[in-house]
Amino acid sequence: MTHVVTDNCLQCRYTECVTVCPVACFRGDGTRLFIDPDLCVDCGACVPMCPVHAIADSFDLEDAQQIWIGVNAEQSKRLPTVRERETPLPTAAERRAALGH
Amino acid sequence: MSTRTSTNGEVTVLGACPHDCPDTCSMLVKVKDGKVLGVQGNPSHPFTQGRLCAKTNHYQERVYHPERVLHPMRRVGPKGAGQFERIGWDEALATIRDRWSAIIDRSGPHAILPYSYLGTQGLVNGLTVGDPFFNKLGATVSERTFCDSGACTGYIMTVGPTPGMDPESFQHSRLIILWACNMLSTNAHMWPFVEKAQRNGAKLIVIDPVRTRGAQQADQHIAIKPGTDLALALAMMHVIIHEGLADADYVERYTTGFDELKAHVAQYTPEFAADVTGLDVEVIRTLAREYAAAQPPAIRIGVGIERSAGGGQLVRALTCLPALVGAWRKPGGGILQLPLWAFPINWEGLHRADLIPEGTPVVNQWHLGRALTHDLALQTPIESLFVYNSNPLVVAPDQARLIEGLSREDLFTVVSEHFVTDTARYADILLPATTQVEQADLMFSWGHFYLTLNQPSVEPIGEAVSNSELFRRLARTMGFEDPLFYRDDEQLMRDSMLWGHPSLQGITLEGLRGTGYARLNLPAHDRYAPHAEGGFPTPSGKVELKASMAAGGNFVLPVFRQGYNGFQDGGPVDALPTFRHRNETGATDTALAARFPLSMMSPKGHAFINSNYGNMRRQLAHQGEQYVMIHPQDAAARGIEPDAVVTVRNGRGAFKARARVSDEARTGVVVAPLGFWVASSIAGATPAALNPTAFADLGRAPTFSDNLVEVTPG
Repeated sequence: MTHVVTDNCLQCRYTECVTVCPVACFRGDGTRLFIDPDLCVDCGACVPMCPVHAIADSFDLEDAQQIWIGVNAEQSKRLPTVRERETPLPTAAERRAALGH
Repeated sequence: MSTRTSTNGEVTVLGACPHDCPDTCSMLVKVKDGKVLGVQGNPSHPFTQGRLCAKTNHYQERVYHPERVLHPMRRVGPKGAGQFERIGWDEALATIRDRWSAIIDRSGPHAILPYSYLGTQGLVNGLTVGDPFFNKLGATVSERTFCDSGACTGYIMTVGPTPGMDPESFQHSRLIILWACNMLSTNAHMWPFVEKAQRNGAKLIVIDPVRTRGAQQADQHIAIKPGTDLALALAMMHVIIHEGLADADYVERYTTGFDELKAHVAQYTPEFAADVTGLDVEVIRTLAREYAAAQPPAIRIGVGIERSAGGGQLVRALTCLPALVGAWRKPGGGILQLPLWAFPINWEGLHRADLIPEGTPVVNQWHLGRALTHDLALQTPIESLFVYNSNPLVVAPDQARLIEGLSREDLFTVVSEHFVTDTARYADILLPATTQVEQADLMFSWGHFYLTLNQPSVEPIGEAVSNSELFRRLARTMGFEDPLFYRDDEQLMRDSMLWGHPSLQGITLEGLRGTGYARLNLPAHDRYAPHAEGGFPTPSGKVELKASMAAGGNFVLPVFRQGYNGFQDGGPVDALPTFRHRNETGATDTALAARFPLSMMSPKGHAFINSNYGNMRRQLAHQGEQYVMIHPQDAAARGIEPDAVVTVRNGRGAFKARARVSDEARTGVVVAPLGFWVASSIAGATPAALNPTAFADLGRAPTFSDNLVEVTPG
């Protein structure tokens, strides 16, 4: 079990989360972030940092969201670490509004 | 202001995590309409930095758990069945008074034994909350050597009760050894300071039989055989001294006994250590050389380090190392054992050991099973047990015997708890305890330099009471007249610290209400080098490589025994760090090692803190079922398939678990995390059933990593 990044991150990529991670467990490509489940210690610090509520304890995922556990595990193993805050994607504000956050 | 109100009526209260963990997090509690909505770490806290952990991220789930004990209850079924019916507080207290009065009239107060530790560790409701009451009652004294007692005795014999390193100063270290410390699971808030040093070029070395999360992040993982670390530490001294790598000036000015130590460690060659530890000779030599060369180097020891026959002398040896290489000269150098010593706590006022009648006997808490089954030579057998802040059935060894003792019909057992734990199932009277959000407390830390105030967020739920209120009620019940027993929580906080001490200058309870926490008045992490010029609080004022206190014999610090100093262990102690084999190893007992060839360790689970959260769905989902980790070679040799149910046994007991076949631990080592509950186990037993009751060499530490077992399918 671990925390995971859901697809709320897609088109946003705010990256506030990486600034508080004590173990640098965020990985990312150009579209979004993922959490390496072997590194995440479940401290929960990143959860309130995300403006679009994209990070969840895997225990709290609904059935339809369970896929993100496997996706995070898989993608994090092939992507580079993101540990510095970066500029959100140009579509972030629009996506955030659409998500109602 | 202690609270702030946002527009939707939500209030944030500054609290603190209550658990027995070095990190003591500053916690923000969100409250609305008298109910806790959630908790989160306090982002402003310099050490805990807005993080909590897998145990406490959803603390409200503990507070409002449907199975919480919310009213006093009395047992209606057989002992252990967990069948209770609700009664009132008056009846509960009257029952305790009647039973205890009869016991005292018949057998004297020694027949009553308190049992507690740090289920909550605040100065108001934690370690010492029941001490004045039981000391006045004249009950048998509980010697609580659960955690770090052996390490404390060894450390204090060497450097005295100094805070040692500031954990924040690890960021300035050039080489860090995490020795028997699974930091990312049990001390996670310190990790950023270690990781910062590593990013700045420091080498991070983890010494652990298991490839822990931290070991995976380290530059080097030294996978030592369990309980053999003393040989490694002594060989490091050998190399440092005999290769001329010591800081001769520091040694000359600020240590005693160097010449004797030099002669003594001549026997502990790297070859000797390689044979004992299972490590390569060159790994040992290189470790010693790098440790001496990288200035300043830092060692962080974990709680488990003391858990083998020579665990106390191991801590002695590790506490000598920084002085040998002059590590203390700069911020970021030295050893971190227990910075609790930084806090000017009024221990005498908290324990009130002056109330203990002369001749009061002592029972060590690892011997509870033996004490309850008349296996200890007690002049007065135990007729009543009072348990709070602890769940011995899961944490104490000798589980089968403990069950036998708790099942005694003539034993009157009272338990104060949040849940019907494995131990609580045996209670005659079960009392409801508050959680941290329902009580006030002032928290020391044994992992950082911040004093933290926990302010109550909501009213006690049901009829739950804080431990401090519990003992006020018990004092009234037993007719105690001294106002000492009736101080309110505010007064207890005021009395708990030596507020005039320089370390508390500028810190007040009033101030803490606004900030939630305060760093002790000590130099900042980049200037904190307390022993750059010696000044060790030992009898000689120096690092005692040869310990003068050894002449007094083995002892447990009074803080771990209700402030009492009577009936100390007194056993002989080697004044120089001296090797001894594990109790349970082929070198000591060939026949035992042939029958039980695997070494078992039972560390804390990532999502549990001891047995706390072992009944909660979220943490169980993270932790999985009770498992025993076994190396693929050891599994194959026994026909054990991954995830199969296996039996782990030794001469003391057996438990069943799922096999986690993994090479995370070295061959010959199995790892079974502790904290799962007996009631939900596969076969009515957990790893504690196999743990030995033998003490380590110092401070009556346990020997849980000095434990031979066999694992079989089914």
